[in-house]
Amino acid sequence: MAPESAPLPETLAELAGMDPNSVPVMILMSLIGAALIGTLMMTNTALAGPWAKRKITAAFTDRIAVDRIGPFGLLIIVADSVRLLSKELIVPEGVDRPAWDLAPLLIASSALLGFAVIPMGNGLHLADPEVGLAYVFATASMASVGLVMAGYASNNKYSFLGGLRAVAQNLAYEIPLILTGASVVIFAGSLQMSEIVAAQSQTLIGPLPSWYAFVNPFAFALFMIANLAEVGRNPFDIPEAPTEIVAGYQTEYSSVYFVLIYLGEFIHIFLGGAIIATIFLGGPAGPVLPGIVWFLIKIWGVFLFTQWARSAVPRVRIDQLIEIGWKGMLVLSLANLLLTAVIVGVIA
Amino acid sequence: MSNPWIAIGALAVVALAIPITMMFVSSLLRPSVPEQGKTATYESGEVPTGSSQKIKFNIQYYMVALLFVVFDIETVLIFPWTVIYRDAVGAVGMTRALLPMVAFIGILAVGLGWAWRNGAVRWVRSSRATKGADTYE
Repeated sequence: MAPESAPLPETLAELAGMDPNSVPVMILMSLIGAALIGTLMMTNTALAGPWAKRKITAAFTDRIAVDRIGPFGLLIIVADSVRLLSKELIVPEGVDRPAWDLAPLLIASSALLGFAVIPMGNGLHLADPEVGLAYVFATASMASVGLVMAGYASNNKYSFLGGLRAVAQNLAYEIPLILTGASVVIFAGSLQMSEIVAAQSQTLIGPLPSWYAFVNPFAFALFMIANLAEVGRNPFDIPEAPTEIVAGYQTEYSSVYFVLIYLGEFIHIFLGGAIIATIFLGGPAGPVLPGIVWFLIKIWGVFLFTQWARSAVPRVRIDQLIEIGWKGMLVLSLANLLLTAVIVGVIA
Repeated sequence: MSNPWIAIGALAVVALAIPITMMFVSSLLRPSVPEQGKTATYESGEVPTGSSQKIKFNIQYYMVALLFVVFDIETVLIFPWTVIYRDAVGAVGMTRALLPMVAFIGILAVGLGWAWRNGAVRWVRSSRATKGADTYE
């Protein structure tokens, strides 16, 4: 594989024939590039939220789902966005106003922020700081602050319970997630996303590429499970748990605020998919098709996995969740880290 | 090589602009029909029993939260080690690169075992649910 090309803003500056060393040009080009990435991810989310999710769940439960408007019911996306945005915004009694308004904003924008460092192939790589992986973990966990804000500010008991459950869950699964991510860093020797992708470009055995999912399938499985908890999908969807606490932290949100929380959740799933694709599945690498297509295939594969788990795996109880997190996943992820270190040490 | 944080800042602007635009569009489209009862807190159709911010209950996991802080700082300390580990093995040998981290994680593992035995990572049942089974201090 060819080495990763220059970050997106520089490529754009060269395309426009401007000097990539001047700061104002870079700010302008960065904004254009960011708008491009934002649009791409919003398109994915728009496809996933109102349409693909329904179709997938329907396929699992032997139903048809949306098929009335447009080909395959695709225009439901337009209908739904107009419908949801034109709903009345009901502000319940006693909500803690600034926090209640800021929470949807934080949930929606924090997840989008993580895509800055994800290499999507074909030069679609907005920024490549040396702390890439640490940065992306930081942005991914910012959403839990939003969930607590939403839960507490709503002044609703269901929301409050949902917010507290979200904290318990994130506390229990953040550490295994990050430790498993760290075991990948031992292989790659860098936190920079482009380096991690480049380190996976050799072949392992025969035609099999040395993606870390093949090099260390145990870490991959751990990361997938911890990621399900991180994005709050079954079997770890207890912060929302529709059959127990109505809708958890989003109970009191209507209209555009509901859209933003819903959107944030889907962007978060895709961000989880993007992290998995980058550190375990070789980023945009793949035969024949261009990089961006492979990248999209991989993040949609992870999305499909979360939807499959949502349809097929029963929800765990909160006490089971704490036990799985602290007694199972944490111990396993520490063992994985040390084992990886020993193996790498012996080979190197 | 330009500063990557310019681009990240630009994405932050975009990431805030998208939701704010949606809020603005929605404020143009949506009706406002204030009615009595619409703004009542949702409690499955019952008359609300009061604020959720004044109720008291055991949030169960303050010990877990303390453990989280310990392990979170631990991951911060592990990350730099993972980055240089491969080079360090080549430079000073595996024993000197690995053993300090094994000792570090070992101490944490002992701590986790202690917390485990003391029931810090166990979900506490209320004393009404299980009489006298509460070893939580």
